[in-house]
Amino acid sequence: MNSSGNGSPAANLSSEQVQVSDALAAIETYFERGWTDGLPVVPPTPEAVNGFLQAAHLEPDRILGVESTKGAVITAEKAAINAVMAGCRPEYMPVVAAAVEAITEDQFNLHGITVSTMGAGILLVINGPIAQQLGINSAESVFGPGNRANATIGRAVRLIVTNVIGTRAGELDKATLGHPGKYSWCIAEKQIRLPWEPLHVARGFSAEDSAVTTFAGLSGIQVGEHEANTPEGILDSFVGRLYAVGQGMKEVLVVFCPEHAAYLKSAGWNRKQVCEYLYESSKEPHSAVMSLGGVKEALSDAPATGVGALASPDAVVPIVAGGDGGGWSMVIPMWSTGAKTRSVTKRIITAG
Amino acid sequence: MTTNTELTVLDPTGKLSIATAGMAERPDSLAGKRIGLLANDKLNADRLLDAIYDVLADRFEVVTAHRANKGNASRPADPGVLKTFASEVDVALLANGD
Repeated sequence: MNSSGNGSPAANLSSEQVQVSDALAAIETYFERGWTDGLPVVPPTPEAVNGFLQAAHLEPDRILGVESTKGAVITAEKAAINAVMAGCRPEYMPVVAAAVEAITEDQFNLHGITVSTMGAGILLVINGPIAQQLGINSAESVFGPGNRANATIGRAVRLIVTNVIGTRAGELDKATLGHPGKYSWCIAEKQIRLPWEPLHVARGFSAEDSAVTTFAGLSGIQVGEHEANTPEGILDSFVGRLYAVGQGMKEVLVVFCPEHAAYLKSAGWNRKQVCEYLYESSKEPHSAVMSLGGVKEALSDAPATGVGALASPDAVVPIVAGGDGGGWSMVIPMWSTGAKTRSVTKRIITAG
Repeated sequence: MTTNTELTVLDPTGKLSIATAGMAERPDSLAGKRIGLLANDKLNADRLLDAIYDVLADRFEVVTAHRANKGNASRPADPGVLKTFASEVDVALLANGD
């Protein structure tokens, strides 16, 4: 019970308080209660939580989103508690809040993507000025460790899903294999290397806006191409990977490394041309795909004939990220081939 | 208030408004009951339900089977579908194919 008086730093907060002797005891207590992702957490004191709420100009009882299937309400207070635990800095809180708004949009299908045997992770792609302000990595080892903002913002969203919505592995989360991105999965788009407009601008936001786009991504498939120096030659190396989880995909994220993006840019190819080329190049009939062991479930959403890996050119979401050296790009398929989830972009609000 | 503590921390968990449902009340007998079979729209859920129904039909004087399908395995059944289903059956079996 909240037993604090009005003068307490927790007076405005409704979460149950836990009394411990010190920070190490708090860490152990959170392990014992199943409140972590298997790694130690930063103890969420009322002072720290209020600092996060103030940084994002959020009242504690502000509802950021609702997961309606299980009836879970994600308040700013609960989001901030988990963001503190994840190791975020207070100024990351607006990003976490926008991400919660995105994943609780109906089209994202948060319940489905977090309990399914298919085992999706939640990938956050950050665009706009805030990426540089917070130092969110878009370069070398973009999907790897070593950057606080990437590691802790992504971790905060997963802790929220685990703790506030109760989607714990082995309980409500029935993923067969799981996903390493379920620890944390957050990157910035490398806007200085883009051949085309940033992702959030393509979705109707202004370049001065900051935004987060959330994807229910399956494991990424790396695409190596070190010899081709034409758009066609580079894109042809992606085609086989587009069939990895089936065909008729309604959404797939294609992460172009800067080297590949530079060849597309120098040839003057825009977003539309790239998407149409990939669509036209992956029209093999599904009978050929099935012989490779594709996902039968995906067939039910595809027309009977003439459809290959992609349902349409619009299914491709191209972004740029990674180190400048090396011809390594990535295809990230979506949960349910994108048939039952769709990415969501939300503006990150930093002003009060 | 607990004493001998130096640090206050906060519970990160949320409360789910949709509680975990318990098992429905069991009838004394299935004789004369209408059996509802609700599949989750995935592979073999309907076959499993039919197989169970066949066993029940052999053992009890079951009136009839009413079949329904969620239509989307990753989302809850439409409330209208459930309401109609509930009005048509006395007991219900659910199956999750996958």
